[in-house]
Amino acid sequence: MSSTKTHNVLITGVTSTLGRQLARLLYYDKRIGFILGVAIDDRPFYFDDFSSSRFHYMRVDLTKPRQVNNLFYSDIFKDMNIDTVIHMAFLNKPSDVGPKSHELNVVGTKMLIDKCLETGQVTKFIFKSSHLVYKIRPHNPVMQDEEADLNFDKDAPQWIRDRVDADMICRAKMDNPHMNVVVLRFSNIVGRNIHSLMNAYLSSKVAFTVMGFDPMVNLIHPRDAIYAIQLAIHKNVKGVFNIVGRDTAPLHVFLDLNKTKRRALPEPLHKVVNSWQKKIGATDFDFESGRDLLKYAVLLDPTKAEKVLGYRPRHHVEFG
Amino acid sequence: MASKRLEEFWEATLTPEERERLDQIKINDLGFGYDIFGLNKDWMKTAYAIVKLFYEKYFRVESKGIENIPTEGRVILAANHSGGIPIDGAMIIMDVATKLNPPRLVRAIVDNFAAAMPFVGLFFYRVGQVIGHRKNFEVLLQNDEAILVFPGGTKDIGRLFKDRYKPAKFNVGFIELSLLYKAPIIPVAVVGAEEQLPVIYKWVKLGQIFGSPYFPVTPQFFLGGPLTNFLPFPSKYHIYYGEPLEYYKYFSEDTVENPEMVQTLADDVRSKVVELIQRGLKERKGVFY
Repeated sequence: MSSTKTHNVLITGVTSTLGRQLARLLYYDKRIGFILGVAIDDRPFYFDDFSSSRFHYMRVDLTKPRQVNNLFYSDIFKDMNIDTVIHMAFLNKPSDVGPKSHELNVVGTKMLIDKCLETGQVTKFIFKSSHLVYKIRPHNPVMQDEEADLNFDKDAPQWIRDRVDADMICRAKMDNPHMNVVVLRFSNIVGRNIHSLMNAYLSSKVAFTVMGFDPMVNLIHPRDAIYAIQLAIHKNVKGVFNIVGRDTAPLHVFLDLNKTKRRALPEPLHKVVNSWQKKIGATDFDFESGRDLLKYAVLLDPTKAEKVLGYRPRHHVEFG
Repeated sequence: MASKRLEEFWEATLTPEERERLDQIKINDLGFGYDIFGLNKDWMKTAYAIVKLFYEKYFRVESKGIENIPTEGRVILAANHSGGIPIDGAMIIMDVATKLNPPRLVRAIVDNFAAAMPFVGLFFYRVGQVIGHRKNFEVLLQNDEAILVFPGGTKDIGRLFKDRYKPAKFNVGFIELSLLYKAPIIPVAVVGAEEQLPVIYKWVKLGQIFGSPYFPVTPQFFLGGPLTNFLPFPSKYHIYYGEPLEYYKYFSEDTVENPEMVQTLADDVRSKVVELIQRGLKERKGVFY
C-alpha cells in the first residue's frame, strides 16, 4: 500500500556513497518534503547545489550521546517535522573492527532508535542491514527467507556479530505501535566506492578462492539498493525484507567479469595469505569475516519484498 | 577457461545425436549459464559423457516404463536406494536423459553432508543435484522440474546385504509436497544395485572422519582396503518406472495435517516400489546379465 503523504526524512551516514546517492534521489522526489542529512564529516562540496529549503546538513557523531540529543532537540528536526529516519551510518569496511566500529554500529544504532521512539515524532525507522546476518551453513536451502536463522555464533568475527546485534536491536522494536521499523537486508551491494565485503573481495589484486568451492552469489547495483529504501519510505510497511539484485551466478563468474585474477587455494592457507595481502595493501577483504561467503551460497528469497514492497531489481551490476 | 576444457571433453566424447538431445534439456538459466542452484549445461554434458560409459558398458542399464514419466511439468520420482554409494541415482538420471523423448534432467535430492565437502558439493550442484532441504524441493516443484527422491534415505542405501531388496520405511516429506504442489509421483524400482557393493558392515567412526554418516565396508575392502572398497561389481541394472500416482486428485492439501494418512500414502508408494522390485527380480536372468 503506497502512502500519498509527504515525508520529511533524516538520513544518517549521508556522506557514504549510498547515503549521498539516496539523498540525491530523494531530493528530486516530489513526495519528500525535506531532507536532514547527518554524518560525522564536514559538509561535503557535493551537497552545495542542494537548496536549503529542501536539504540541511548537520555534523553529528552518533557515538556521542550529547550530539545525538542535540540532533533530536534541534529546531530543524522539530520545525521540519522529521517523520522518517533512514539509518545508514555504519562502518562497512572489512578493516573496520574494534571498539570504535562497535560503538557506531551497535551502540549508535541503539541510541538512535531509542531516541526516535522517545520523540514520538518519528513514525518510520529504516535500517540498512545485510545478508551477512544470516547463519551461513553448507546445508542451507538455496534461498534464505526473512525467518531464516541468524548467526548468533559466539565465535563469529566481531564484524559479523555487530551486524547481527544491530539488526536484532531494530527487530526488537518492531512491535512498537507508534513507529514502523523496517529492516532491509541487502545482498552484496557492489559498485564504485561502496564498502562491502564482496566489493573488497572483487577489488583485490588477486582474489583467492577456496579450493573445491564456488558458491552462487547475488549482487545488487547501488541504484537498486537506494530504490528499495525509497520504496520503504513511501509504502506503509514494517518488518524485515530481503533485498536482492538482478545478477546471480557462481563467484568465479563475477571475478572473471570484473577481470580480477583468481587463484584457488586450500582453505587452511587462506588466513595466512589474506593477512599478507592486507599488510601489503593488495586487498581490503578479511578472510575471517568472509570465509563462509567464499564457500557457501547465501541467496535471499525476494518473495516478501516483491509482494509487500513491490520491489524488483532493475539494474545489472557494472564491472571493471 | 574451465568451461572451454569441459566443452572440449564432451565434444570429443559425445555423439552429435547425444549433444543434440542434451541441448533440448531446458534449465532455468539466470543469465550467466547457471540456474539458481548452480546447475550448468557444460558440466551436465560432461557428467553425462563420464556416466555414459558406466551406464552403457559397465552396468548395461535396461529399463521399462519410461513412458510413465511426463515429458513436462512437475513430477516426483520415488525410488528404492541401494548399493552403498548412490550410483543408482546417477543411473536413473542417465536413463531418463537417454530414453525419454524429449529428454529431461532429473534433479536428485542428495544428502546434506555432501554440501560441506570440497569438490563433492560443487560437483553435485553443477550437474543438477540439490541438497535435501524442503525449501529446495519447493523451489524445484515451483519451477516444474522432475525430482528424484529416495524416501528411504540413508537407512535405505546403508542396508546390509542380508537385507537386500527390502526398502526401508519411506519418509513422508515427498508425499506432503506432492499434495501441496499437485505433483504426480512415479514409483521407481532399481534392481541390480544391491549386488554392486554388498555392504557387509557399516563403519561409523571411519565414515565420520570423511564427514559421511558411515563407511560402508564391502567384500572389495579385503582386496585393497579403502582403495578398492568402492569398486563396484558390474551387476546389471534394471530400472522399472511405475504408473503415476496422483494422490492430490483424491486427497486435499489439508491431508498434510493428518500424519497417519500421509504415512499411509508413503507406505502405498513403498508397496508399489516393492511390487516393481519383485517384478524385476522375477524377470532378470542373473545378477550380471
